[in-house]
Amino acid sequence: MIVTVTGIGLWAAGLTGWSEFQQQLTVDGPPADAEFNAPRPAAIAPRERRRAGLTINLAVEVMHQACDMAGVDKAAIATVFASAMGDTDITDYMCRKLAGADRMLSPTKFHNSVHNATSGYWSISAQNRAPSSFVGGFRDSFACALLEAAACAIAEDLPVGLAGYDIANAAPLHDVAPISETLGLALVILPGEQSPGWPLTLALQAGRPAAPPMPRRAGLARLADANPMGSALTLLEALADDRTDPLCWPVGQNTGLNVTAGQRSRAA
Amino acid sequence: MTPIPVTAYTLTSALGSGLDAVDAALQDGCGGLSPQPWQDCDVPTWLGRVDIPDDVQTEPAWACRNNRLALLGLNQDGFADHVSTAIDRYGAHRVGVVIGTSTSSIERTEAAYRELDDSGRFAPEFRQPDTHNPHSPGAFVARALGAAGPALTVSAACASSAKVFATAARWLELNLVDAVVVGGVDSLCLSVIYGFHSLQLVAPSPCRPFDRDREGISLGEAAGFALLDRADPGNAEAALLGYGESCDAHHMSSAHPEGLGARLAMESAVAASGLSFADLDYVNLHGTGTRGNDATEGQVCAQLLAAHTVASATKGWTGHTLGAAGIVEAVLCLHALTSGVVPGTLNTRDPQADFNLTLETAARRPRRALSNSFGFGGNNCALVFGLS
Repeated sequence: MIVTVTGIGLWAAGLTGWSEFQQQLTVDGPPADAEFNAPRPAAIAPRERRRAGLTINLAVEVMHQACDMAGVDKAAIATVFASAMGDTDITDYMCRKLAGADRMLSPTKFHNSVHNATSGYWSISAQNRAPSSFVGGFRDSFACALLEAAACAIAEDLPVGLAGYDIANAAPLHDVAPISETLGLALVILPGEQSPGWPLTLALQAGRPAAPPMPRRAGLARLADANPMGSALTLLEALADDRTDPLCWPVGQNTGLNVTAGQRSRAA
Repeated sequence: MTPIPVTAYTLTSALGSGLDAVDAALQDGCGGLSPQPWQDCDVPTWLGRVDIPDDVQTEPAWACRNNRLALLGLNQDGFADHVSTAIDRYGAHRVGVVIGTSTSSIERTEAAYRELDDSGRFAPEFRQPDTHNPHSPGAFVARALGAAGPALTVSAACASSAKVFATAARWLELNLVDAVVVGGVDSLCLSVIYGFHSLQLVAPSPCRPFDRDREGISLGEAAGFALLDRADPGNAEAALLGYGESCDAHHMSSAHPEGLGARLAMESAVAASGLSFADLDYVNLHGTGTRGNDATEGQVCAQLLAAHTVASATKGWTGHTLGAAGIVEAVLCLHALTSGVVPGTLNTRDPQADFNLTLETAARRPRRALSNSFGFGGNNCALVFGLS
């Protein structure tokens, strides 16, 4: 499968967009003490932003960033949202509430607890009625989302936005799925080889790599270690560096997703 | 699109385990809803519960009701054997897995929170990373079957296990794999009962889709699976002919008032199949039994469906199985095509429908069927199946 990355969105401590990501590459990635500020996507009204919670704001923010960079019609692209753990703030709220004496749940928190809530808020914010999905692959979630997005772009012949996110969690969920940094990122991909953009060649291979590829810079590797979506930073780093070495992510019990970037083509 | 053969399928729901249980229930006109409460839950409602035998158990790392339900479902109708045959033919890494769910294993996470230790941590038996995450059913099914190709879990609320067919169809079209196990698994838990109760959508009586006096949904649980195999040499009786996916872009928990998203999904599915609406013999409606959803879906069906196309809503039989509703109703469509028997709309007595809604189960020998699934977040999916 050949697709082209034309837009990138990003949000983490010290990384609030593609420009900042590129700047941070000159200093080995964001510092460990970089402060995290919650995103406030302009596409969601302030009152709705407060109701929405972090995962939704994160996903909507990075998806809009990537679309703005790609210059695609936000109302027309298909989308794939992905997360290893979903909105663990809501999971924690609901499970604590249901374990207590008063089990009445907030209706807003309940309807935001569906994993595709990010897709729902995005589609409303962009007035987008195109196909949209949420995929989970636990630790393989980024590769699952990239596979889904690339297959959708080619089979449906549509631009596809991919947003992957996981948020920092606390005990007790932290003990089973430790996430110590919040990270959201998005790609807009077009079917086939297009210009400008980075062409990607994707193929499945028999054989599961032991681990996803890690970024080379220490600051990015630290972030990638702290968030299950973090191995996506390895791809962003390769794109920024114009590297073309093959990268392989685990995507099934005995399957890997091979991704090879080509040289970035720039607008004539 | 090129039709994709469905070489095996199975369903475990409140009607019982396997397709024989579906046949028996339809023949007797006996649905699966029961007023028996869930644990100590104080919400008055009827539920479509599956009796999972005690000896259906997973390894401890995967232990939860949802994965036990998946395991029970995989072992009905020889489904796991059909998958083994495909693995032998193509190699394990050429068989993918796409499972839909909304609950995943949240019932287990709820239990873990009820039994936190003194320091607020999970007790040892609940420290199960592979269980407490949205991908648990997809990973579990891949592991249980030995399918080693790409595996992911779709979680798009009540459209989840309809959308699995779209993902699988793309994988097959692009030759990424040779066969795909699709399915859905959702299990009853406090989150969904109290959650839908908070939205005032839970009916105190058995749900009555499209009834003038409908009061809301009856929740249920189910595990259903289908095997899609592009290279099937012609043994399959039925095939996936088309799929359509859309968003409402309107509201998180109520459908677009004119059903724009629903209409788009249905039209896309029928267009992809190369058919027209007049070619459909049967439509399995989303038909949840809430006032708003049924009104919206009814309005769209009145505009799109031909007078000779029979439609029914089957959640009165099974309950609304949420993330499994797509596969439950896909299997009911496939089974209607191969058995010739179209299920009626159980519990509904005073229908409010400007299209051909049927209340009675009857032998109608449909050849083309459409299944609707519409979810929270405005996610919609429609599927078209036909006899081979």
